[in-house]
Amino acid sequence: MKVSYLQRNKFRRYYLTRIVVLVTIFILTGVLLSFFDSIIISAISPIWKSENSIVRSLRNGISFFNSKKSLIEENAFLKEKLSSLEAETSSLSRQCVQESALLELMGRRQDPSTIAAAILTRPPQTPYDVIIIDVGSNESIRIGSEVSLPEGPVLGVVSEVFSKQAKVKLFSASGEETNAILERNNIPVVLTGLGGGNFKLIIPRDIEINIGDRVLSSDITSRLLAIIEEISSKPTDSFKEILARSPANIFTLRFVSVTP
Amino acid sequence: MIHRILGSIIVFVSIIILPYWVYIPLLFIAIIIFPFFWEGIVLVLLIDVLYGNGVKALSWSVSPLAFSVLVLLIVLLYLRDSLRSYA
Repeated sequence: MKVSYLQRNKFRRYYLTRIVVLVTIFILTGVLLSFFDSIIISAISPIWKSENSIVRSLRNGISFFNSKKSLIEENAFLKEKLSSLEAETSSLSRQCVQESALLELMGRRQDPSTIAAAILTRPPQTPYDVIIIDVGSNESIRIGSEVSLPEGPVLGVVSEVFSKQAKVKLFSASGEETNAILERNNIPVVLTGLGGGNFKLIIPRDIEINIGDRVLSSDITSRLLAIIEEISSKPTDSFKEILARSPANIFTLRFVSVTP
Repeated sequence: MIHRILGSIIVFVSIIILPYWVYIPLLFIAIIIFPFFWEGIVLVLLIDVLYGNGVKALSWSVSPLAFSVLVLLIVLLYLRDSLRSYA
């Protein structure tokens, strides 16, 4: 009996041709986009700017229609928060004064020159804990420049620079590892980013640690990186798994400072 | 054809202004709905250029998202050819 494979071969050839077309499109688009990435980001950044201003004005509009009672409650809550933050700031600034005096004595005075930058887009719009800021190489920003909150806590480093924009990879990006110090007992640890402003660290179970403890950067400035949120360990484990979060809410960031 | 162009535009606009938990599912829905949705490759690489570590020319490092879109498109090619509808 004769068997015809013509139909099956035709189908296979058609299928393989389309796979080759898809892979070719993938490679060609990748090559093209890699050359035009700065143009694309420059073209889209005005849309992000206008989106930010629209969202801000919408929020203001909604708050205008809030009832009087809720506004009074919010006012009282904000006053309380302000006083607690003022106290915290004064305690921090005393420490800072001591640290900067010590650094000055040792000839390692910090250079305070930073550049303020507005955030064009932030998580959850970006899926990889990346923020895009509105300063770039024309403001002497370069790859590796440190990005922090205006209040001090350090957030990440610049990973890509364009003429008027820069991409910042946050330390909390998934899989990103950062050397840090546990403030309570000055133990060096490695913070592993989990995404969404969260970190994980693993330490031996004998080391004392509490919720609310601070994790500082391992450089000479010792700036705040994360705050301990959750500690979990089983009786049989020799290590503790600790979850920490960024001191800033990365979903509502508006401005950052960049140290060029 | 108009539906396909409209779908691509909706995914593109959502990539620019909406959170990732909206535009990534939208992209996958568009890939499943429209046959041979090669525009999905352009859109996923655009996500990498805008929000990821960028797309490097002559480099084999591909983001898991872009790779999964390519694999899904290839798998769907086979599935679409294998399935028959009598509706």
